Amino acid sequence: MRPVIKASLHYLALAVVSVLWLIPVYAMVINGFKSDLEVSSTPVLVPPTQFSIGAYVSVFGSLAKPLLNSLIIVIPTSFIAAFLGAMGAYFFYTLSYSYSRFSSTLSDVLFSLIALATFIPYQATLIPLTRLIVDMGLLDTYAGIIFAMLIFYIPTGALLMSMFISVLPRSLVEAAKIDGTGDLKIFLKIVFPLSMPGFISTLIFIIIQSWNNFFIPLVLVTTPEMKLISVAVEAYTGGYGTLYNDTFAAAMLASIIPLAIFIFLGRYFIRGLIALGGGGKGV
Amino acid sequence: MVKVVAKNLSKVFKKGKVIALDNINITINNGERFGILGPSGAGKTTLMRSIAGLDVPSSGELYFDDKLVAGNGKLFVPPEDRRIGMVFQTWALYPNLTAFENIAFPLTNMKMSKEEIRKKVEEVAKILDISHVLSHYPRELSGGQQQRVSLARALVKQPSLLLLDEPFSNLDARMRDSARALVREVQNELGITLIIVSHDPADIFAIAERVGVLVKGKFAQIGNPDEIYNDPVSVEVASLIGEINELEGKLSNEGVIVSSFKFPPDTYRKDNPASEKIMIGVRPENVKLSKEVINDDSWIFVGKGKIKVVGYQGGLFRITVSPPDSEEEIVTYTDHRTNIGEEILVYVKKHSVMVFNQ
Ligand SMILES: Nc1ncnc2c1ncn2[C@@H]1O[C@H](COP(=O)(O)OP(=O)(O)OP(=O)(O)O)[C@@H](O)[C@H]1O
Ligand SMILES: [Mg+2]
Repeated sequence: MRPVIKASLHYLALAVVSVLWLIPVYAMVINGFKSDLEVSSTPVLVPPTQFSIGAYVSVFGSLAKPLLNSLIIVIPTSFIAAFLGAMGAYFFYTLSYSYSRFSSTLSDVLFSLIALATFIPYQATLIPLTRLIVDMGLLDTYAGIIFAMLIFYIPTGALLMSMFISVLPRSLVEAAKIDGTGDLKIFLKIVFPLSMPGFISTLIFIIIQSWNNFFIPLVLVTTPEMKLISVAVEAYTGGYGTLYNDTFAAAMLASIIPLAIFIFLGRYFIRGLIALGGGGKGV
Repeated sequence: MVKVVAKNLSKVFKKGKVIALDNINITINNGERFGILGPSGAGKTTLMRSIAGLDVPSSGELYFDDKLVAGNGKLFVPPEDRRIGMVFQTWALYPNLTAFENIAFPLTNMKMSKEEIRKKVEEVAKILDISHVLSHYPRELSGGQQQRVSLARALVKQPSLLLLDEPFSNLDARMRDSARALVREVQNELGITLIIVSHDPADIFAIAERVGVLVKGKFAQIGNPDEIYNDPVSVEVASLIGEINELEGKLSNEGVIVSSFKFPPDTYRKDNPASEKIMIGVRPENVKLSKEVINDDSWIFVGKGKIKVVGYQGGLFRITVSPPDSEEEIVTYTDHRTNIGEEILVYVKKHSVMVFNQ
């Protein structure tokens, strides 16, 4: 095939996929700006004749606190999970290069367990998890929700970070050992800085996952004051007398933060993934 | 400052499919400068890594002085406690740290003030001529500079054992000389034990007092460099420690015959040939080419040759000569020009030809 035709087909395919992907976003944005009357009387994909921010105003009042709550939960959760995950990943890295066959087997077993842990559906663990949090007296507190989220996201962090850490040249760790360095310092001064692109990717991934997590806040929050955004938005869908423009506005507000993170940090996310393919040289 | 003893040391990889070290026995004395020569894949790096504690021997024991540091597949003293300075074959500089921070890194693990660290780093950087690049990151350094940073990092902490794995391979001739001198100086000053691996016999001659030639995971020969240069146990060992002409010949009562060349018995170094097929080795400096007959007992005529190749190298002409109508080649160096195709008389020095039975 001629290169020009090939490239054109390539771009055509990309364009089709992009449009398909953008349609829901487009619908979300334009419908949020419709008035109560227009949203129910015009097709979903037709833009409003008159921009009205009425829906946003009415929704924002009740979503402000959940948005703040979500930030308070998600920021520490994602940083702690990604960082502890990275430490865990380095631990496995050292174990798997260990001289004794026992520790490398141990490393494999523990690692498989962790991988398994990330695949367990939340729903299946809800009752024991709720019990645990209640017993700790942490029901309906920020600490309780963060703790519960960490249980799920530290393994995710370890799993992702171990992909990034395992491609670091082993000789660097060996040189540091010969230089008389302890493992904690090797991690903080060498391994962690070198896996920074991976760390940022992991961080973004966990931020988005925990931001959208629905079940944990649903069961661990009992008062409206503590509601997280993912649960609060749910109040605008389904039920009786749904106001569509409000639903779209709420969805828009709820996704602004993950969206912004992706737009501003997305290239680090990609860079991290590229670093993986390039043998960890993406520093 | 440490004596390294290996007893029946072996290292296998891939469940025994690759034997990297095969029953090594060696004692490297306190304060000794020991060189390791060997072809690629002989196990040199593996031996260094075992001594450093980065690889654990599959069997056998390794002692530092009288202390068992590794034995029977177990590690008793980890690398961080062995007081070792090492220059890796791949340098292994920390890419996220500047040259200064790289060199200072081992010092930050000791109780030492910032001022003291700075002084030490600058001192060693000055000797190695890298003071002006201390603020650079490794990717901003040339290969030779990276190598010197790596050397500086190994030297700055004043280890009791210094392991150098091909430390000079990327330096130019002038830097190489000063790096060798530096290594010797530091070794002398600190009295540390030093082990150096190199492909370049010149490094070994410049630095090592004793050298072990590693072939297929075994020491084929251990001795001082001159001894190995002059009395190698095999052609392979001979070629590893310096350039040598290898010729395959047949034994007759008049000497060894190689095509139309004849090496009479008074050219042999010492061994008497015993088998019919003989391999002989002649160092280039023991060959002399002349247009006229040489009347000197110490040079012995072996035959008439034809000049095949003339090269120029290190201020000398590198001449390849062959017996007429033969593929065998002898290389030597002279200071005067000769022409390709010219006929010439070939002499070798008395008692200089190494004879290896096959
Ligand atoms: N981790 C490993 N796994 C499997 N085989 C290995 C490993 N390390 C080394 N080997 C093998 O052991 C043998 C010795 O390797 P080593 O690196 O010690 O050679 P070397 O003498 O340093 O060679 P060079 O001069 O090329 O550096 C080689 O055959 C190599 O393929
Ligand atoms: Mg090697």
